[in-house]
Amino acid sequence: MHPFAKARERVRALNAAKIERMFAKPFLASLEGHIDGVNVVVRKAHSLAVVASASADGEIIIHDLPQRKHLLRLPTAHKRSVTGICFADSDRLLSCGVDQTVKMWDVRTSLDEDGSGDLGENSLPADGSKPLTVFHGKTAFNAIDHHRESSLFATASNCVHIWDETKSSPVMNLNFPTSTETITALKFNLSETSVLASTGSDRTFTLYDVRTGKAERRLVFQMRANALAWSPTLPTSILLASEDHNLYTFDVRSLTSPTQIYKGHVAAVMSCDWSPTGTEFVSGGWDRTLRIWNEGDGRGSEAYHTKRMQRVFSTIYTGDARFVLSGSDDGNLRLWKAHASEKLGIIGGRERAAREYRTKLREKWKYDPEVGKIERRRHMPKSIYNTSKLKQTMLDAQRVKEERRRKHSRAGETKPKAERRKVVVAEQT
Amino acid sequence: MGASSTTPKVPPPDATITRSIHLKLRAHLNQIADQTKTSKGLNHDVAELLMTGGDIGLMEAEDEMEKTWKVDQDQIVRSVGIDAAAQRREWKLDGGPYRSRYTRNGRHLAIAGKHGHVAAFDWRVGTLHMELQLRETLRDITFLQDQSHIAVAQRRHVFIYDQSGVELHRLSSHVDVNRLEYLPYHWLLVSIGNAGYLKYTDTSTGTLVTEQRTKLGACNTIAQNIHNAVIYLGHQNGTVTLRTPNLPTPAVTLLAHLGPVTSISVDPSSGSGGRYMATGGADGKVKVWDCRNWKGCVREWVPRSQGGVGIELEWSQKGILGVSSGGGVNCTPPTIRNEHSGQPPVYMTHAIPHRPLTSLRFCPFTDVLTIAGEPNFDSSEADPFENSKARREREVRALLDKIQPDLIALTDNFVGKLAPQKSALPEEVMTEGVPMYSRLSRVDRLKASRKADEDAEVEGGVEVEVEVEVEGKAPLTSAGGEKKEKLKQRGKGKSLKRYLRKKRKNVIDPSIIAIRAKIAAQKQSRKEATTDRAPSALDRFSKSR
Repeated sequence: MHPFAKARERVRALNAAKIERMFAKPFLASLEGHIDGVNVVVRKAHSLAVVASASADGEIIIHDLPQRKHLLRLPTAHKRSVTGICFADSDRLLSCGVDQTVKMWDVRTSLDEDGSGDLGENSLPADGSKPLTVFHGKTAFNAIDHHRESSLFATASNCVHIWDETKSSPVMNLNFPTSTETITALKFNLSETSVLASTGSDRTFTLYDVRTGKAERRLVFQMRANALAWSPTLPTSILLASEDHNLYTFDVRSLTSPTQIYKGHVAAVMSCDWSPTGTEFVSGGWDRTLRIWNEGDGRGSEAYHTKRMQRVFSTIYTGDARFVLSGSDDGNLRLWKAHASEKLGIIGGRERAAREYRTKLREKWKYDPEVGKIERRRHMPKSIYNTSKLKQTMLDAQRVKEERRRKHSRAGETKPKAERRKVVVAEQT
Repeated sequence: MGASSTTPKVPPPDATITRSIHLKLRAHLNQIADQTKTSKGLNHDVAELLMTGGDIGLMEAEDEMEKTWKVDQDQIVRSVGIDAAAQRREWKLDGGPYRSRYTRNGRHLAIAGKHGHVAAFDWRVGTLHMELQLRETLRDITFLQDQSHIAVAQRRHVFIYDQSGVELHRLSSHVDVNRLEYLPYHWLLVSIGNAGYLKYTDTSTGTLVTEQRTKLGACNTIAQNIHNAVIYLGHQNGTVTLRTPNLPTPAVTLLAHLGPVTSISVDPSSGSGGRYMATGGADGKVKVWDCRNWKGCVREWVPRSQGGVGIELEWSQKGILGVSSGGGVNCTPPTIRNEHSGQPPVYMTHAIPHRPLTSLRFCPFTDVLTIAGEPNFDSSEADPFENSKARREREVRALLDKIQPDLIALTDNFVGKLAPQKSALPEEVMTEGVPMYSRLSRVDRLKASRKADEDAEVEGGVEVEVEVEVEGKAPLTSAGGEKKEKLKQRGKGKSLKRYLRKKRKNVIDPSIIAIRAKIAAQKQSRKEATTDRAPSALDRFSKSR
């Protein structure tokens, strides 16, 4: 009844793959305003529209995404660079900088009830440029994160300080014994809210418990990690963006090796963030691209780039998992689609059915050489293409050398080491 | 009973892939296999619910004395429903003999008379689309993708007309064409003529895809296998050749009859998958062939001839073979494919004396020659009740799903199969991006740079060759594929030792270890062979003593 069913299905899959590539236009908008590189972007919890960004010249801007305009600007929030911001709750923002201060800002008046309001001229807060509170530290701060439930927040400097919003000095100092490193990033776990993870300049990753006030575990890597993110759906899973061009997911219950290595960047990975669904994540790199990954798939990343985008320092997903924001060294905040060929706007039932059918076909036929080629092949900027080729050559040379060394040593003396066993140098408790 | 229904169904072990490939890939492939299996089961359930597949609506005899072939057309018309009865038509036309062709949905009929009369009409409703008097010899007619285009083989060239009879194209590259065939899924118009050139034209782009010289003279018998789009040609010297556009020579050549082949038909029924072919020859014989095994015909018989016209054959979608020989049609039941003996039973017969039959076509879905019918058709494939909007929609979709002519082959199911495991080949080594060369073993590297000592490799057994079994390998296709057996003294393994000697002593890798073990084993077996032997008088001369 259906002659050539398979052959026709393959043609359809081929067409589906081509259509997917034809409609892959991920770039949506560039949100301007900063005059220096955007160091950090955060989204407000329970809001799809509001994000805050901070730049290296000390400015903080709160954006309205659908209207593409500024809700609030704090031009001189800090002297010199702002290194971290986070929302304390829906109407207060915490920021820290290299000027050794943490400041708490009132952003309530700029927002409507649903958190997505228009900021009129008359609704500017009277003391819009004045912080509610200023916390003074002794060294420059590198990162900040607020506890999910209580009024605690943590800052990263030469050690991890735990602060209370109501107290002017840190309530707790968390430090791994014998450690003299600088903490570069930290994040509270989203469901085990007392667990805190940090990365340090000494190529370390440390887990703390705020209840015990101690560092529980520490890992030392081959190269340092630049950013980290806890999975929103799997509390034991943590993502690390490493200086060695890779990303790693770890299960914190067994830290001897990563659960997956994600390869694709051709320079250091500077930032990472999970999709709220926990199935995808985004990373931004020193190689001027941001990449979108599927959890558990270490190779097939979708790379986004433009001609003008510089080093990507900060990336986040929006709360509906449909969009991605990247803040880069050129001072722009860019809005991208999380799925490059997704159609925005209303999709009718039949169109949705057709799209789902096409997706399924691509999934089914991705091992076909022609379909797979279209699925995999991406046009990359020349610099990235050349760098990745060079990187591949170097990796091959390393591998060949290792193979030769093994061949000329006594049989069974050296065994090949799995890639994921090489990541962790030491595990300390 | 209850326990069996609650326990989850575990797929049988043969369905899962257990070879040591990448873990996640394996999991994904197994998942796909499971999904396919589930959907097959669901399809089967739906088919059972709709009661398709089993009963195809044939007449059945109540006892042994009653014969289905005794029931004549008038009796059938009296006993079946009004719709089915109305499908019996007879048009008496001058200007014959005529060739006829149905569209794929069975709704429209095109006829071409030898003396220039062309007509296309919706034969159920009775609306005439076009009627032309071309005033030249017409040899064949076929619909293209649907009723909107018709190709007619005229005296000199092939012309394409649209539904209202406007001439759209003159295919000047098709000269003196006798027979036309259209491959719907590849959008290819195939023609063969007096000069013996088989020509494939892509009707979506208008390009001539290939042109093959058969070197077998004029040809006026052509048929397609709907399942794999292979063209079957019957020639004047009694051979049948199977053609695909990507092979310059026939995929199969078969001496079918002593004398010209007059008619070919390939079983289109979905159950058989195009396995059976029927040929009729000028020698008066009808033969049924198994297309997977060309050793000899499955069945042959001589139909009763009622006039000097050649045999015409046509399989219906339900597997009924219509045989016309002169003044009548005999239909044989689908069982002729299974029961292997001579004269087949007759299912129905219809005599048309004094008007020799030259063209025989079954209408798709309702085998009108036999009142057997397919009640459950897939309207997305070919819909007899489609309106013009649906027709336009389907045309675009079919064009999007057009299969490339390169994919036509005898085995139709190679698409989507796992590729055979490749050994390291030079072109694979040269793939840009990944320098595979460094990953190869020494033997493969030598092979890649064409410096390998082939004898040493075969004898030494360093490389295990994977034998790829070719399914349905025709004897004609295996040219130069066999390896010549070398008469060498086995077991000495000189090349192995040479390989070891040339190898640097301090390099120890698995292949060296394997070779050493093999040499030791050979030595051991040789020793055992000598000790087990019964003592001989010549032993006194042996060195080992």
